Order: sequence, then C-alpha cells, then structure tokens
Amino acid sequence: MIQLHNVSMSYQSDFAALNGINLRIPRGEFVFLTGVSGAGKSTLLKLLYAELTPTRGQVLIDGQNLGRLTRRQIPYLRRSIGMVFQDFKLLGNRTVFENVGITLEVLGWSKKDIGKKVFHILKQVGLEQKMNSTPLRLSGGEQQRVALARALVNDPKMLLADEPTGNLDEDNKEQVLNIFKEANIRGTTVVVATHDRRLFSSSHRRVVVLEKGMIAEDSNGQ
Amino acid sequence: MASNKSATRPKLTNEGFLGRMAYFTTRALANIRQNFLLSLLTVGTITLAMLIISLFLLVFVNLQGATEDWSRRVQVVVYFDRELAPQEITAFKERINTVRGTDRVAYVSRGEALNRFRARLKGQETLLEGVSAEVLPSSLEISLKSASREADAVALYVANLKKIPGLGEVQYGDEWVRRFSAFMNFLRLVGTLLGGFLLLAVIFIVSNTIKLTIYARKDELEVLGLVGATRFFIKAPFVIEGIIHGAAGSLIAVLILSGCYLAFMQNAANFLSFNPAAEGLSFLPAGYLAGLVLGGVLLGFLGSMTSLKRFIK
Repeated sequence: MIQLHNVSMSYQSDFAALNGINLRIPRGEFVFLTGVSGAGKSTLLKLLYAELTPTRGQVLIDGQNLGRLTRRQIPYLRRSIGMVFQDFKLLGNRTVFENVGITLEVLGWSKKDIGKKVFHILKQVGLEQKMNSTPLRLSGGEQQRVALARALVNDPKMLLADEPTGNLDEDNKEQVLNIFKEANIRGTTVVVATHDRRLFSSSHRRVVVLEKGMIAEDSNGQ
Repeated sequence: MASNKSATRPKLTNEGFLGRMAYFTTRALANIRQNFLLSLLTVGTITLAMLIISLFLLVFVNLQGATEDWSRRVQVVVYFDRELAPQEITAFKERINTVRGTDRVAYVSRGEALNRFRARLKGQETLLEGVSAEVLPSSLEISLKSASREADAVALYVANLKKIPGLGEVQYGDEWVRRFSAFMNFLRLVGTLLGGFLLLAVIFIVSNTIKLTIYARKDELEVLGLVGATRFFIKAPFVIEGIIHGAAGSLIAVLILSGCYLAFMQNAANFLSFNPAAEGLSFLPAGYLAGLVLGGVLLGFLGSMTSLKRFIK
C-alpha cells in the first residue's frame, strides 16, 4: 500500500512541485498518473523511490515512512521497486543479458541462478534471441522491453514508470503496456506517469490527474 | 516493510567477505575490458605522472650522493709545531673521539705532510729545494659525521674540540664550510619546492583524469543506485579498478625508467665527455622503487575514492 499524506515538495522556496497531495494506492493496483509537463508526475515518482524527500507531509510504503529512511536503507527499499524511464537508462557497453542481470548481481545471486532467471524474463518480453546484443543495436521498443525486464527480473512489489512510452511508436506502446498489465496480474502494484491520454483512455484503470502540483481529478473518486 | 529495521536485507548464505571481494575484482576486471580506452587513458596518465616523479627522484638521489661526497671534504685540522709521540697520538685520538660529531681521526706526521706538499707541487719541485720536514707542522685530521658538517654544527664542534687541553691550532676553512652549507640549503629548498610542485601537479592531473573517466560512466553509477546497490557495492569495483590502474601505471613507469637508465649507461659515453658508470651514477634504490609502485596504488585508490564521492551521494 502506497500512502501520501499532505505531501508537498519544493525545489526552491518559491516554487512548489507538489502541493498538499493526499493519495492511497492499494497493493496490486494499476494507476496512471497524468498531467501536463511540470504538473509534478516525475516528482511524485521520485518521492516513491526515495530519490527525493518531501519538504512537508509523509510518504509511506507498506507503513514504512520513507522520510525516516537512512541513506543506508534506501538501496534495500529500491530492491522491492522496479523502475522504468523514458530514456531507458541502459548501459551501452554491456549486453542485454548483463543489463538485466545487474539487478540480481546487486542482490548477490549466483551466476547460474542469474542465467536462468534472466533468460526466463527475456523470454517473457520476447528478447531471448537478443540477449548477447548491446542495447545500441536494438530498436526503441526493444530497449524499453530490456529496461522492463531489468525492472521486473526480481519480482518487485511495485513498478514505477516515468513516461515509459514517450519514445515509442504505437505498436511498441501496446507491447510495453501489455507487459505492465501482465506484471500487475502477477500482483505487482504499477504506477505509470504519462501525459499520453491515448495510453490510458481505453484501459479502464484508475487515472490520477495532476495539475500544478495538486490532484485535480482521481477516477477512483478519492 | 512494517518498520525501518525490515528495510535491511538478510545476508545470503554464500555471501562471505572473500566471495564478495572475488566478485568485485571480477567486476573491476570486466569493467576494464568493457571500458578499455578509458582504462588505457588512465594507466597512460599515471605512467607519465610516475615517470616524471621517478625521474625527479633519480636526479635527486644522485645529487644527494654527490653532495654527500663533497661534504666529506669538510674537515677540522689540529696543527702541532712538533712531532707527536705515539702515546700522545693515541691519547689525543681517544679524547677527540669522545667529542660528539667525530667520524675519523688521522695523524699526519711532518714527513707525510712534506710528501703531500711535494705531490701537490709535482713538476715544480725546484720550489721545494732547501725545504725540510721540520718547517712543516704535524697534524690531526678529523672527518666529521654528516650531521655535523653544516656551518653552525662545525663551529659548535670546534668549540667543543678546543676544550681538550694540549691541542694546537684548530683550522677548518670556515668560509668554505659556510658557502657549502648555504649551497646545500639552497639545493634542499629548490628540491623540496620542485618536488612539492611536481607532486601537486601529478596528484591534480591523475585525480582529474580518474574523475573524467568516472564521469564518463556516471550512467552506470546511476543505474546501480536505481536497482538497489549499496554505496559500497557501487564503489568497490571502481576503487579496485583505480588500484589496478595505479599499480599498472607505476609498474610501467618503473620499467620504462629502468630501460632508459640501462640504455643511457651503455650509450652515454658515446655522446658525453664522461662515462656515467665511472662517475658512480646510480639507479633508484629498491626502497624507492617499491615506494613508487605503492605511491601509484595509493594515487589510484585515493583518486577513485575522492572522485566517487562527487557522484555517489
């Protein structure tokens, strides 16, 4: 369960990126965060993976107050969160296999177990044939699927995506969205920040609209 | 995660210290392979930097050897207007040896003094016609320990020496000693300043090169942070890489220096008017070489640690 209580975030004293946000996302829910550029979508996601600390209010994940986490505890929080970005954030000098396996290396998995698990997840996203390629040789859609595989390989409790389809064509958007849905069916809470209305217009999922750092609309009626 | 405590991960069973170190070293070697050009640039810079330092040290060590030789000329001579009896010589030597700073004492008889005089005036022996040994004084020549060869130390030594009763006239060429001390102080000052600036320049260049190579890989640091790597997990392979770069750079520098030294010693006589081997031009002692390699390792270690600090918050 994600809970935000009266959360405000200011980068400078006179500019509030988020202002008095109250939000509850139950475990296993699929939520779209939307709004124009600068509405506060990315800031909200950054608060959820403890990249930022709110200037006011509380962010709780499964009852854990993220504002109270020490610097040492943040990595352990992130191991339960998968993250996907518009620019993929893949390492160009490592193969697809190595890019995905990095999540499990960090957890101390053995080479053999990493091999099995990475192959399995690459098969799920349809990229097992390309596991020895470097990301630069892949299309945008394929790169985003590698990033998704990296985010999902350790079965995270939560998947956060910041404009994940921003650089993709319609076919690839569909493919990526389907992977999100599959992860959600398996029990992962999914939060996708996007300004692309077409992505969620026919999805029948919860949509939270942000405007000038405040919640302007929540399809869940909260 | 119900509490802060549960945010810490339980240790995996196969996660011993050695296992982790082996993983980090393998990762560091893989990183070097994957970023070969950047590694080459870092090793090249460290090699050049250590080569400059080692060349400076080579000059410094040889200059130090030369000045040590020159300083042996600082001598205190006690003149007597008579020949000393063997018992007297022994007694004086014993007394003089108790004075702090004495290295060696040698007695020069009147006859030996005349022989030396003759040797010095070789070719102009006619000048010595009619000169007998009785005209010349006998003397005790005192060599000083290196710590007592400075102008002030020599003056203090002579003052202590004069307290011994029965000694004749004491001379030590105080003007020469003063000039020599001034020259040595100047040499030390120039050496320290030059060495200091050189060291600062080398630290600056190497740390900036390492910083640039880490900056070029800041995406890797970011991704590792996002997938939940601890700061130690992110830093360790980079630091090991730094140590490998430092060790490789300084070893190559020592090898190049050794090669240049050997080539110079073998061929210098062809284009120089002196033979450096005969002049006692020496190579760096083993301690210095080990120090250089350790210095390179330290440079790589500290360079990567300080650079990582800027990128990992």
